[in-house]
Parts: sequence; structure tokens; C-alpha cells
Amino acid sequence: MEELSTMRNLMFMLFIGMLLLGSGIFLAAAKGQAAEDGKELLMATTTSTDDTGLLDYLMPSFTSQTGIAIRWIATGTGKALKLGENCDVDVLLVHAPQAEIDFINKGFGTTRKEIMYNDFVLIGPSEDPAGIKGKKLPEALQAIKSAGSIFISRGDNSGTHKKEQALWKTANVVTPEQEPWYKQSGQGMLATITMAAELQGYTLTDRGTYITYESAAESKPALVIVVEGDPDLLNQYSVIPVNPVHCPSVKSMKAQAFSDWMAGGEAQKLIGEFKLLGKQLFTPNASR
Amino acid sequence: MYLYQIRDADHFYGDKQVLSIADLTIASASITGLIGPNGSGKSTLLKLLGFLEEPTYGTILFQGRKAAPFSKVVRSRITLLPQEPYLMRRSVFDNVAYGLKVRGDTSGLRDRVGEALTMVGLESENFARRKWLALSGGEAQRVALAARLILKPNVLLLDEPTASVDANSARLIRKASLRAREEWGTTLVVATHDWQWLYETCDSVLHLLHGRLFKGGLGCAVHGPWRIGPNGMLHKELEDGQLLVAPKPEEGKHMAVLDPSRLTITLPGKDILPERDRNKLNGFVIRLFLERNGATVQTAIKVAELVITIRMERNKIEALRLYPGKEISVSYAPEKIEWF
Amino acid sequence: MNFIQEGFAQAVTLLVNFDPATYSAISATLRASSLAMAASLALGIPLGYLLGFLDFRLKKQVRIVVNTLLSLPTVFIGLVIYALLTRKGPLGEMGLLFSIPGIAIGQVILALPIVVALTATAVEAADSKLRLTLMSLGANRRQIAAGTLWEVRLGILAAAVTATGRVLTEVGISLMVGGNIKWHTRTITTAIALETSKGEFGMGIALGLVLLLIALAVNMFLAGLRRRS
Repeated sequence: MEELSTMRNLMFMLFIGMLLLGSGIFLAAAKGQAAEDGKELLMATTTSTDDTGLLDYLMPSFTSQTGIAIRWIATGTGKALKLGENCDVDVLLVHAPQAEIDFINKGFGTTRKEIMYNDFVLIGPSEDPAGIKGKKLPEALQAIKSAGSIFISRGDNSGTHKKEQALWKTANVVTPEQEPWYKQSGQGMLATITMAAELQGYTLTDRGTYITYESAAESKPALVIVVEGDPDLLNQYSVIPVNPVHCPSVKSMKAQAFSDWMAGGEAQKLIGEFKLLGKQLFTPNASR
Repeated sequence: MYLYQIRDADHFYGDKQVLSIADLTIASASITGLIGPNGSGKSTLLKLLGFLEEPTYGTILFQGRKAAPFSKVVRSRITLLPQEPYLMRRSVFDNVAYGLKVRGDTSGLRDRVGEALTMVGLESENFARRKWLALSGGEAQRVALAARLILKPNVLLLDEPTASVDANSARLIRKASLRAREEWGTTLVVATHDWQWLYETCDSVLHLLHGRLFKGGLGCAVHGPWRIGPNGMLHKELEDGQLLVAPKPEEGKHMAVLDPSRLTITLPGKDILPERDRNKLNGFVIRLFLERNGATVQTAIKVAELVITIRMERNKIEALRLYPGKEISVSYAPEKIEWF
Repeated sequence: MNFIQEGFAQAVTLLVNFDPATYSAISATLRASSLAMAASLALGIPLGYLLGFLDFRLKKQVRIVVNTLLSLPTVFIGLVIYALLTRKGPLGEMGLLFSIPGIAIGQVILALPIVVALTATAVEAADSKLRLTLMSLGANRRQIAAGTLWEVRLGILAAAVTATGRVLTEVGISLMVGGNIKWHTRTITTAIALETSKGEFGMGIALGLVLLLIALAVNMFLAGLRRRS
């Protein structure tokens, strides 16, 4: 049975000592880190953009031409927008036009500059169990529903997910939340495609990620494009600098420089030249 | 001035009272023995004397001053050797040197460790390098003792030092403790059942029973059955038909104890008028044992199935001409019998 | 199944060729884990000692709370730390989000309960005669603490090993707080998560094997410490 009175002193001193030690370690490291990163631009973008390898290809040119170092976090569109709202990043590169307009209307972003697009495609097993190949998009979706064929959704509030939900609406089908054939992966695009391949189901994907998947699959890929070219399937990418009024600490000059550069002639040319497996992934469409 | 003075010390573990000592003194450089059954509070008393704990109530004065655990006055001066041999998970050398290291007193360390080990009979060249695992119980206990002797303590408290060890180790432990007293005047307090300690080594022996101290000899415990007597007192019929009278106990107390300091010895038939409030029991002397101080005698008296031990002055023994086998009377006050 | 074999081959290739991305991930993992373990041990061992050694009124309740914290899911911790470190949060101005020290903070939350609980257990299991012996030999309170911790050093080592394993292999915190930024906060575990989500299972296995190698090296070091004591 130990007395607390003098033990309290010891405990207190130990606690303070170790707290100081711990804080010291962190502050020193953080200072070093922050000082080093203080000059870097931080961008939030989507996993589908990052997975294509476009950013690894494009960003070095940005840095060498503008002298601005840039880092990016790839997550779902929902989280990317949240990071912008929370002022944790300086600029966004996403593809969810309606959500982007909301974002700007709420005062979180300054403007949205359209940079490039690719399109979405509906992919599925080559055997095409729902028989939708060549159909128009609304009919194809209705056919999937009537056949009860497996459909994998992103289910994660990403640009792709929002697009998918809009398409069900256009096809006059209530988003099949509870249906057994409708499965929400909650993961990135490639993971979702992989799941669709495993389960022999259909899914909606951007062409870029599909090309990446196709090129990684050695022989015949398990999933092929069944519906494409529909005007509703357009996938527009935009750059949105985070609003400095909402986030005073944001690097607004650099963010704007990034936006300008992405819309500029050099970047647009590079985007058009980016190919995977000999196929162009993105079509630059920044207005002059 | 006494080395220790204990006054009205009551110690509780939670709600349970484990010690109740009205008055106890221990002289410097004395050897005091403690006997008593398990659970009587011997280990607790040693812990209090070692200032490892503070008594819940009451005071213990050391060298005439109040002291608390961890205070400079008692740290490294009073040391306790627990009953089970226990060493820290280090080499023998590190175990023995620990006390000096925490004091910052490390000059000539190797030699001092060697001396301490020699004192307990472990003087082999490489013994200090042995690990804590590689020792027998007796060797471990001796190393533990060496770790304490190296401090040249003022007080050495030993809790059953010979109980868990072999005979040779027990002998060496006793020898080393006595040497400490001879060379440095170390005071020894030993809780033990060992007759060599009690009868040949200790200056005086204290008896603990249920946390109570009996200084006048060994408290004699009396168990039931008891009958209720005419005046509301309890009677116990002894095997030879004599009656022991005691007051009714409180709830939950079952054992009556005769306190030898309240008993008197008389020769039978010597007084015609019975004393008021005192009863007599007849018995005979079975053992006379001269204590080491040469002035007191432990007198064991058999009364029916009871053995009562009273410490008496030597001249009183001579005056009464007591010898083993002599018939005597033991006089007691029934009202004063205590229950536990 | 052949992605496992593929993984083995790739692991060797990555390490032998000093693949920069892989080594960057290794560096990130090691930096975050070392920071986190240093702070967890510095804070956790004294706290564990006090929890094991002292007797105080709410001791049982505190013990239950500590044990419950052992079950914190890493994504949960990641979310909470993100809330603290986000620009608008209480510690937002420190610029710790998406940094290695930020990840380390979250990992401390993960490792600290482990160190405290296991140290407290080790101290409680120490023989009661130890305290008696240390006091008898003249130790003051500080020396008793040091002596007790040395006596139970094997238990503390076990705590360190367990906590290190947990910290090296967690994903939830590194992902949420670190942001998986290539070259900066992409650790081996977040890289595995990324490669797996991309369908690159072979790469995932390869990185997993690299992590195992690191864990092996760390444990060999800790075992060396054990032998020396």
C-alpha cells in the first residue's frame, strides 16, 4: 500500500518530463517537415486520375516549367472535396461537375476550369449475360435490372459513382440500393473492376482506368466494353483552386498558377500525347 | 536511551487489526527473539521495526526520534531479511553490491563484496559471478544476508532466517548475524522457532499472539468447551477437574489467553485466606530455563493439560526453591482474562 | 495463386535494384515507426509502472479503460487524429497533417495502451519481496522504480515487441493521417493497400515480404538486447 502524496510529485514530474520530451521530438520534426513542405502545393485528386499514371507523367513538367513543387493525395471525389472544404489542400482536380458547382456555390472554391475529358464506358463479361451489347445506355441499364445481372457500383460518392447514379435516373430506374444483384464496393475504380471481374458482373468505369486494367491483364481481359459513345457518358475533369476567403492559409497564387498551367498550351499538348498501350486516355478540352 | 520505543501502536490491514502493542522497548546491541504462531503478527512487527510501513496508529521512536519510511535516519541503517530466500535477477555480485551502489558508496567495492560473502561462508573465487538462478535456497538466503551485512546496519531484522534453508546455511546465518553484533554492535530482532536462537542466542524472547505482545512469558491459549457458571462467568473444566473461570467474551472471540505477566506463583497451602478476585490453580514446574541475560528464568508450569510459561526473576526462583517437579499454585484474576 | 510466387521474385528485385519508390516507402515506415515507438516507450513505461505499482481508488477502472483502448481500430484512430490535425482543427496550425510526425502521433495512440498495459502487468507480477528487498537495502522511491523496471525488463521488452509489431503493420492511421503521398508519406503498408486496390497483387505480396524482412531485423535487434541483459 503506497502513499499517493509524495508519489504524486514523482508522477507529475515524470509526466511533464516525458510530455516535454515527446513534444520536443514532434515539434522539431514537424518544424523541419513544415518548413520543407511549406513551399509545396498540395492537391487533392481522385484515385482514378492517379491510377492512370497521368500525374506521374505530367507533374514533373509542371514543376520544371513553373518552379512550383507539388504533392497530391488520391482519394474518392467525396473525400477530395471534403479536404478542400477543410482547407487541408490547396487545389482540386476532380470529375464531378454537379458536386463541383455546389462546392463553388458554397464558397469553398474559386472557379472551376475544365481541363480534359475522357468518357465512361459500361463494361461487362464477354458473354454478356444481360444481352446489352450495342444497345443505347438507358435500355442497357433497364436490361441489366430486368435480367438481375450483377452490377458493381463504386458506392463511395466519387465522380464515377455520382455519374452512375445520374445514369440510373436518366434510365428511369430507381437506384437499386437494396437489390441483391447490385453490389457497392466502396473502393477505387481498379478495385471495383477487379471485383466485377471476379463476380462476372457489369460496372461503369472511366475509359482511362479501363485501358489501364486492360493493359495489365495479360491475355484476354475478363471484362470488355459493352456500351460506349453515349453523350451522357462524358467525364469532365476540372481544376478548382480552394477559395482563399474560406481558407486564408491556402497557397492561392500557386493554386491559380497550377490551374493556368493545366489549361495552357504545353499541358494540353502533353495531356493529348499521354498514351497507355498505344491508346490515348484523355482528350484535352480547356477553352482558350 | 532505547534504540526502539513503541507506544500504543495499532496496525490495521483494511478493517482487520493485525497488531496491538501497548508498549515495547528494544535496547541497542540486544538480541530479541519473537515467537508466535503464523498470523500472529511477527512479520508485520518486523516490517514496522524496519520502517517499511508506518503503523496505522501510534508511534515508533528510533534513537529517540520519530522516523518515517524512506527517511535518511532509517534508510540503509535498518535492514530486513524476509523469510523466503529472494534475490534480484542479477549476478551474486550485483545483488550484494546493490545497497552500496544506491548509497553511492562504491570505493573498494570488489573487496567489500568479497568480505561480505566470506562472512556468510561463500568465499569461493568465482562465487560472486554466479547468476541468481544457479543457487540453492540456503546459498540464496546467505547471499541475501551478505547484501545486508555489507551495509554494516544498525539493526538487522530476521524473519524466520532458518526456516527455509538447510542446516549448514542456518548455522552460518546465525554465526554471521552474531558476528555483526560483535563487530558493529548491530541490534538483532529475530522471528524464529529455532531453539538455538531462542534459548542460546536471544537476550529476551517476546511472544506474539493475535497481534498482542506478551512480555512476561508465553501467553497461554485456552480453548473450549466452556460452560456458563452460576454468576454469569464461564467455566472450563480442566482434565484434572480444576475449574478455570473467565468472563463472557464478545461476539466472535473464541480463544481465552492467560497473560503470564498477570499471574503469580505461590507455594500451595501457604495462604489460608484466599485473595479477593483471584482464583488459584494447582500444578507443578516442568522446566526452568535461564535466559541469556542471566537474571530471568523462563518457568514452565503444567496445570492439567495447560502449559503456562512465566518469566520470573532469578532470586524469586531461589526464594521459592523451585525445581522441576515441584508443586506450586498459579494465581490469576478471572476478570482480567482476555479473549481473542 | 501465382501472384504469390510473382511476389517473392519481385521482392528480391525491388530490394536488390534499390528501387527508389520501395526504399522511399521503407524510409517512411521506419521514420514514422521509430518516432512513434520512442514516444510510446518514453511515456508508456513510467505510466505502466505507476499503474502497476501504486494502489489508488480507481485503479481497477483505469485498468479496464487501458485494456479497452487496446481494441481501438486504426481507422478510428486515423479519423480522430485527422480531426485534430485538420486545418480547422485544434492543432491545425502545426502543419502536421499529411506528414510523418502526424502519422507518428496517431501511432502513439495505438502503441501507448499496449506499452502501459503490458508494463503494468509485468510490474504487478513482480514478486512482492522485491519492493521489500529494495527498501531494505536503502533504495529511495526513484531507485525502487528503476530497480523494479530493471527486474521486469523481459516483460517490458515483450511490450516493446508487441507494440512495434502493431505500429509497423498498421494501415488505417498511415492512410488517413498521412494521405499516402508518393515519396513523402507513402509507407510500405499504405503502398500495399494501393497496389492491392489497383489489382497489382504481386506487388502487394512483394511489399509485404519487404515489411516482414524489416520486422525480422527489428526483432533480431530486440532479441540481441534480451541476450545481453
